[in-house]
Amino acid sequence: MNEAAVNTTMNANDELALSRKRRVRARRIALRVLEIGTPIAALAAWWFGSQNSQNPFFPSLREILIEFRKLWLFDKFGSDVIPSIVNFSIAYIIACVVGIALGILLALVWPPHAMLDPVLQFIRSIPAVALLPIFVALFGFGNGVRVFAIALSALFPVLISTVDGARGTEPLLLETARVYRLTPWERLRWVYLPAASPQIFSGAVVSLQVAFIVMITSEMLGSAHGIGALTMLAQKSFDAKGMWAGILLLGILGYLVNLLFTLVQNRVLSWYRGAQQSESAE
Amino acid sequence: MADSQLIIDHLSKSYATRTGSVQVIADLTFDVKAGEVVSIVGPSGIGKTTLLKCPTGLQPMTSGSAKINGREIEGPPPEMALVFQEYTRSLMPWLNVEKNVRLPLRHMHLPKDEAEQRIHSALDSVGMHNASEKYPWQLSGGMQQRVAIARALAFRPDVLIMDEPFASVDAQTRFELEDLCLQIRDSLGMTIVIVTHDIDEAVYLSNRVVVLGQKPAIVTSILDIDLPVPRDQITTRSRADFAQTRTSILELIKNGKQ
Amino acid sequence: MKSHLTTPSRTATLAYGAIGIILLLIAWQWGSTKVVSKSALPSIPDVVSALRELVVQGSFWIGVALTLVIALAGWAIAAVAGVALGIAIGIFAPVQAATRILLEFLRPIPAIVILPLAMMVFGPTTKMGIFLVIFGVMLPITAQTAAGVESVDPVMRNTARSFGMSSREILWRVILPGASPYIGTAMRVAAPVTLIMAVVAGMLGGAPGIGNALSVAQTVGRSDTLFAYVLVLGCMGMATQAASVSIERRLLHWHSSYRGEQS
Repeated sequence: MNEAAVNTTMNANDELALSRKRRVRARRIALRVLEIGTPIAALAAWWFGSQNSQNPFFPSLREILIEFRKLWLFDKFGSDVIPSIVNFSIAYIIACVVGIALGILLALVWPPHAMLDPVLQFIRSIPAVALLPIFVALFGFGNGVRVFAIALSALFPVLISTVDGARGTEPLLLETARVYRLTPWERLRWVYLPAASPQIFSGAVVSLQVAFIVMITSEMLGSAHGIGALTMLAQKSFDAKGMWAGILLLGILGYLVNLLFTLVQNRVLSWYRGAQQSESAE
Repeated sequence: MADSQLIIDHLSKSYATRTGSVQVIADLTFDVKAGEVVSIVGPSGIGKTTLLKCPTGLQPMTSGSAKINGREIEGPPPEMALVFQEYTRSLMPWLNVEKNVRLPLRHMHLPKDEAEQRIHSALDSVGMHNASEKYPWQLSGGMQQRVAIARALAFRPDVLIMDEPFASVDAQTRFELEDLCLQIRDSLGMTIVIVTHDIDEAVYLSNRVVVLGQKPAIVTSILDIDLPVPRDQITTRSRADFAQTRTSILELIKNGKQ
Repeated sequence: MKSHLTTPSRTATLAYGAIGIILLLIAWQWGSTKVVSKSALPSIPDVVSALRELVVQGSFWIGVALTLVIALAGWAIAAVAGVALGIAIGIFAPVQAATRILLEFLRPIPAIVILPLAMMVFGPTTKMGIFLVIFGVMLPITAQTAAGVESVDPVMRNTARSFGMSSREILWRVILPGASPYIGTAMRVAAPVTLIMAVVAGMLGGAPGIGNALSVAQTVGRSDTLFAYVLVLGCMGMATQAASVSIERRLLHWHSSYRGEQS
């Protein structure tokens, strides 16, 4: 092949590569537009599609948002939104703390674990919301009972996964801990808890969902206050705007709570992701 | 045996299994003097790892005794550290290098300066002072094993026990780590016991080599290695007496199998 | 799972488990007679007789059946729709781009949120229950399926194409089997949620089934019946979980053995 011919092929190749690069870039931009555009289009469709809605179930988005602002940002913020969030947070934190503590205890001392395992498995299998009527029957429906009910329902997933996680601790790490004479507290803090943490988090996210469901159910079931109670009340009095405003708020809260959880998890488990990635790279 | 730092006396070990008791170690007797490097070699599958679990106090022995500095060993003694073969599983993946090395020092309640100094010099002596912020899974195998050694060094044991410490690293790293061992012994005056299946390594490192045989394990012979010090990977290994010692150990192991 | 602790023998574990159950029953009986007033915490004989009363009634079995129908129908519809959508997302980049933000936002929202709307639109019906179940489990199944499709090795896809397999064949023989472990996990995780939503639909929305029977029992103050129903629900929960685990294991049997050969 002479030099000129080589040059032409190279030029042709260059052009081909260039046009391919251009096409790839155009495609990437199109996808990005689609990604951001679709939710905006969906919202716009909701806004304009419902503008003159006469349907009793689906009021216009404009009205829903006005109701949302009026209800949640002003009237009911202190009396209903805050108590719901506080109840939920306290109950969830109790569930996690007790679940992890109890789980570690059960994992490290086997007779109680073997003793409690069948019982735990059964209680976990009961749909958490079904326990609510029992609580109501036993203790009435004060605020403390509600927090207790949320916490107890959310306890089991985190408890069971903590047990599994702690029992699965790498034996060699435990031998290392013994050789270096780590105190029981140090073993807990530096070996068992971190070793179990990936499992603990996977249980805790289930607990989070359960706590959210039980919180709303408990409010819908029989309460004068709380976001769930107001939303249910609006539904029962055919106040579609109020109901939609409630759904919107609950949806946003559900999303935010999950977001917060994911942020904490990514922070605490950054070592785990790194270790997993380096393992799969090998 | 008056000046012996570690004394293993008629140690035996059996495990209870469903079909009855299985004896892994029949009778071990040897001693290690302060500042010595002693290697334990033997045919594969003879339970060399089990052998270490008794004198380190990780598992109870069935009969016999083990003493360190004249004291009976019951649990893991404070003047002993252990480096495992499986470095990937003996470092805490959730702690960075510095915190891994610090972990055994926490309950000693050392003055802050001394703790820092110990960690620093330990990491320094294994050449890992630049990686103290890294996590174990960001390091190569050889580097992880260096961290495990640094952790043992910062603990300042009298006796450092190593269970096939270099079995899973590449040959180049292996030579470096072997020299690191000798250097530690010289600079810190540590007594080192190494279990290995690599006879060259045993000869190169040791003052004495304990050869195991049969199953269940017994000590078939104990050899003094009179190679000159300091040792060097090239000159020491190319000596005629190195090859002779190596051959005689190989033969001892081969005979021990039958 | 490996345990560092001395693994107790099977009989010891069973014995301890039995002791645990017996202790719980004793505590319950003691609590019902000595601590809480009889009407709130019923004694074991009361609950047993309430349970016996229930199982001879046709309406009880209809309630059980309806609850199961709601859970299973919702589960099935959500699975078909979720897997189809998930595959579309996994294969077609535009579909993925278009749905990404919406899915990210909608997926973590618990289905209970939509309950008031479902009640308003459907009323206290089986349909409402099914709708809630679908809403509760479809998006997680979708997301998992999409992740599963993406996990299929592109080399394998290209190889299949170069062997002249049609798109349909690639879908059925390469992509679906490759994504199936993800789909299986999503389905198993969904199992308890379907039951929760079926019960909530009855308890709050008046949909037929055990949830509704629960709230009736609570309203009329029959705590023995209430406890009997909760025990029944516990058994149903264990049964659905066991069933979903065994189905997953059977369907994915090939997968683990395939992997075993590979590694």
